[in-house]
Amino acid sequence: MNYLKEVLASRELLINLTMREVKGKYKRTVFGQLWSLANPLALMLIYTFVFSFIFRIQLEPGDPSGLDVFAIWLLCGLLPWIFFANVLNSGITSLVSNAGLIQKVAFSRVVLPLSQVASAAYNWLFEIAVLVVVLTILGAFVLPWLPLVVVAMVLLAGFAAGLALMLSIANVYFRDTQWFLSIILQLWMYLSPVIYPVSLVADASEDAGGVLGTPVTILDLYHLNPMVYFLEVFRNLLYDNRWPDPMSWLICLAWALGALLVGFWVFRRNERNLAEAL
Amino acid sequence: MSDVAVRVDHVSKSFRMYHERNQTLKSAIMRGRTSVHEDFWALQDVSFDVPEGSTFGLIGSNGSGKSTLLKCLAKIYYPNKGTITHFGKLAAMLEVGSGFHHELSGRENIYLNGSILGMSRKEIDRKFDDIVGFSGVEQFIDQPVKNYSSGMYVRLGFSVAINVDPDILVVDEVLAVGDAEFQKKCFDKFAEFKRVGKTVILVSHSMESVRSMCDHAAWLNKGTLKAVGEAAPTIAAYEASLNNG
Ligand SMILES: Nc1ncnc2c1ncn2[C@@H]1O[C@H](COP(=O)(O)OP(=O)(O)OP(=O)(O)O)[C@@H](O)[C@H]1O
Ligand SMILES: [Mg+2]
Repeated sequence: MNYLKEVLASRELLINLTMREVKGKYKRTVFGQLWSLANPLALMLIYTFVFSFIFRIQLEPGDPSGLDVFAIWLLCGLLPWIFFANVLNSGITSLVSNAGLIQKVAFSRVVLPLSQVASAAYNWLFEIAVLVVVLTILGAFVLPWLPLVVVAMVLLAGFAAGLALMLSIANVYFRDTQWFLSIILQLWMYLSPVIYPVSLVADASEDAGGVLGTPVTILDLYHLNPMVYFLEVFRNLLYDNRWPDPMSWLICLAWALGALLVGFWVFRRNERNLAEAL
Repeated sequence: MSDVAVRVDHVSKSFRMYHERNQTLKSAIMRGRTSVHEDFWALQDVSFDVPEGSTFGLIGSNGSGKSTLLKCLAKIYYPNKGTITHFGKLAAMLEVGSGFHHELSGRENIYLNGSILGMSRKEIDRKFDDIVGFSGVEQFIDQPVKNYSSGMYVRLGFSVAINVDPDILVVDEVLAVGDAEFQKKCFDKFAEFKRVGKTVILVSHSMESVRSMCDHAAWLNKGTLKAVGEAAPTIAAYEASLNNG
């Protein structure tokens, strides 16, 4: 509780550091903020070409939205994934790259990783806003679901923030954690339903039966990945325009709270030692 | 005697001296351990009081633990033993311009740096003109700081830091940079601090400035306190030890 108070007291610093990230990033580029769309758009094009055109992944049309566009379906999951990966990638180096500051000034250290979360969230909001406009033009009735989209975004941001807090500390002690992370994130993306629907995993799992003769199926193992639930919630809200399964909400909430609690706990235990360890 | 501004009570601080440090998972796993180290005591059982309203000099040769002590004061390091108590708002200036962002303008950096040092936006708004005035970089305030000369950079950083307006100001050798005019400005500022009854703790290798500015001093040698008290005798003792080799 005291810790929350301390973080709240530093909110102005948090805002300023976030603005430093946001402004510094696209400063003096011709298209400014539009650059943040470049990466998702490029990925959208290449994945659509490979997975929809070459591999011919078949999707159910959005129910009840009636949408049937692979590229848009893809973006509804790809944007949350890119946000998640961005938070981890920038959060993990947030302490090491500010070593000079940490060794010379006393301030609430936790604002360093949190400002990375906030600046990634800022870009993400912009991307989602563009996506919502496109969805609306295509005839999806997405506007009423926006409050819930925001709730889902907060949950995912919390989950990502919790992991980023732990990773930023780990990277101080073991500087190659960030290289492991980039490998893990690649694997993790392919193990999450970003570019293919879960229904394909379900089909494959049915064919394969239980793992090693146990009643546990591949699909069960697949669902150990929290991102399965997060992406389901986002696609339900944005693409299908319907209520996600309450169970999925609960699981997202649990992962978000769990990650945040452990993240803050780990951070708090180590922050006093940071100036020396760096 | 007047009241105490800072009380340093039996403070000891050790660092790890690494003979082997495995800072990557790969090497930690291959070598089967994270580090081999022994403790090095940078401060040993240091105790003294800094009187309120004094200008307090901290002297001693390189590596004697002056910066370490200041960092303990500033809550950047935490002592292994002992406690440090201070009465009133403390601000430390261990390096000026920490956290300046090269692409941002001087103006934006004032706000950023100010908030890192714990000022609120309103406070910075109010002091903005003073900060810019003191730094003497008005003309370049909307230029990105990467185009500043190193002296201008320091001036701006120092102006922000000094405007935090603490009761106790802790300064580590940051005055060595900057031209004569600016150094004079800074000394005047310290004198003003003293006039209004604020405490300044500073580290300097220039015995001239310590002699002219400080009324009290402490002499550290290899992490232990050699002498503390009125400035003149402490400085004399330190200089005597230097002359005797
Ligand atoms: N983070 C650290 N890790 C390990 N050793 C350290 C660390 N910081 C300081 N030391 C050691 O502590 C001792 C005191 O250092 P400190 O910086 O306090 O000296 P100083 O009195 O400020 O010297 P100078 O006059 O050169 O600034 C030195 O031997 C230094 O090597
Ligand atoms: Mg020093």
